[in-house]
Amino acid sequence: MPGFDFPPFDLPPEAQALRGEVRAFLAEELAGKPAVERARSWSGGSREFSRRLGARGWIGMTWPRKYGGHERSYAERYVVIEELLVAGAPVGSHWVADRQSGPLLLRFGTEEQRQRLLPRIARGELCFCIGMSEPGAGSDLAAVRTRARRVDGGWKVSGQKIWTSNAQHADWMIALVRTGDAEQRHAGLSQLLIDMKTAGVTVKPIANLTGESHFNEVFLDDAFVPESMLIGAEGDGWRQVGAELAYERSGPERYLSSIRVLLEFLRVVGDAPSEAERLLIGEMTARMWTLRQMSLSVVGKLAAGENPAVAAAVVKDLGTSLEQDIPRAVQALARPDCDLSGDDPFQRTLWYLLQTSPSFSLRGGTREILRGIIARELGLR
Amino acid sequence: MSELRALLARTTEQVLSQTPDWAAVAQAGLDKVLVPESWGGFGGSWEDALIVIRALGYHAVDLPLAEAILDSVRVEERDLHTAMMVAAKMAGALSAALDLSVEYTRQRQQFGKPLASFQAIQQQLAIFAEEAAAANMAAAAAFRAADRGGAAFEIACAKLRANQAARISTAIAHQVHGAMGFTSEYRLHHLTRRLWKWSSEQGNERFWADRIGAQVAQRGAANFWADLTR
Repeated sequence: MPGFDFPPFDLPPEAQALRGEVRAFLAEELAGKPAVERARSWSGGSREFSRRLGARGWIGMTWPRKYGGHERSYAERYVVIEELLVAGAPVGSHWVADRQSGPLLLRFGTEEQRQRLLPRIARGELCFCIGMSEPGAGSDLAAVRTRARRVDGGWKVSGQKIWTSNAQHADWMIALVRTGDAEQRHAGLSQLLIDMKTAGVTVKPIANLTGESHFNEVFLDDAFVPESMLIGAEGDGWRQVGAELAYERSGPERYLSSIRVLLEFLRVVGDAPSEAERLLIGEMTARMWTLRQMSLSVVGKLAAGENPAVAAAVVKDLGTSLEQDIPRAVQALARPDCDLSGDDPFQRTLWYLLQTSPSFSLRGGTREILRGIIARELGLR
Repeated sequence: MSELRALLARTTEQVLSQTPDWAAVAQAGLDKVLVPESWGGFGGSWEDALIVIRALGYHAVDLPLAEAILDSVRVEERDLHTAMMVAAKMAGALSAALDLSVEYTRQRQQFGKPLASFQAIQQQLAIFAEEAAAANMAAAAAFRAADRGGAAFEIACAKLRANQAARISTAIAHQVHGAMGFTSEYRLHHLTRRLWKWSSEQGNERFWADRIGAQVAQRGAANFWADLTR
């Protein structure tokens, strides 16, 4: 079964050379940044940081030069991404645009859309959000009800999106909307580029369990979207969204989210760990090393022009399980003075990741959906 | 895959899938996969050897082929490379047990439909497939590292990851097979009993996790990521 075949992939020398450059840049940019801030990973964003990263040529790296890209390899992009994540850089402002909105436009967008948006994304100037989930359409994404009604020169869009990360900061949303009949389910869907400043678009932040607001409700009330903002073909939204989600599942962000607490744990136990601490470090290291090999293998598949959708689902499910196991295992083994009320970097990072870790196996496709994809590849459904 | 490696894979499959005796294995030259061509061997790399060793585990062949392959070349750290061999056999056996479990649940009917059609079964087998993929990845990366030289860390991770995968996957394999998997006549136990044995051979989880953990802690937080990406 090809979906479960993970041939080893070695990063080429030019990618490894780039790693040193990125590390030096980040050491300077992030000097003095507290561990708990670094643990926010791609949930934290800074427009200024995104612009500086764009100026270095590290956004839109694999895209054609004519759209502001840099025509670097997938391997080089991978190195930059993993270094950003491990350092805990505030990549949230351009993250979605670089990872999936840009690639989606490159593949399905019109020439006008590409020329207008891709260069600005690559410069780190644009923040995108993903308008997929709705109150009645979570894992069952084909139940989307937000409706785009044909009017002169475009559509009027009405409905509601929810759990939309970064919508309160975003310039654009790529929304999955219903342009056909509700009875058609998969067939009646299309993707529209919606300018978040459009009249009729209202964003309402939702506080998560830590009290912070990363995700939002987005209300669309007869918001006008011009004809030219349709991505790909009308009615092709379901197929396009499937391709978009594969980009969302294949990266190192699916196993590195808790690395900060593992590093903090290593710092706290120092060079004389107890046996139990050694066993924990050894177990997590072996799992993380293996996942990195698998994640690199997916890069190799992308570089070879293959569709790695199933392999990406495998990496994401294994990876998010590791991300959730690390904070819980570290908590179980922490020394007796750790009651999660301490103000030291270790306890603050641990407490932050314990609270945010439930989202790891929800965002970008739940664990159960991923296992369903894997079961289909196994021929069970 | 190179043409020569594809040929090796085909030969390996033909020989090892037929419950061979030692004469058949030796005649095909599988014990000489690492021996230079000028000495009458296949002249292969560790990655070539992986194909043979993995198949040995997949087909549950009870022949000392891994030992013969190790004996055929000068290996500085014999124990380490033996552990790498065991990890590869485990990866093969996990894939075989997965194939068997998929096949069985698609055939076995309960409540008027195949077991495979139940989500409870599908989700368990998906975990199994992930674990088998992880063990196979870890073994493949370790063998490639062995070709580069100095693969102590990679081999340690590969054996530990194979053990972790075996612990999770054998439980699922037996659960989805029901009582049938617990009989002596059905072939699942040829794979699972070997996986349990191999989990204790050449270092169990405690052995390898301790070794890796001590080394990583000694290097410290500042070197963790640099070492992982070397």
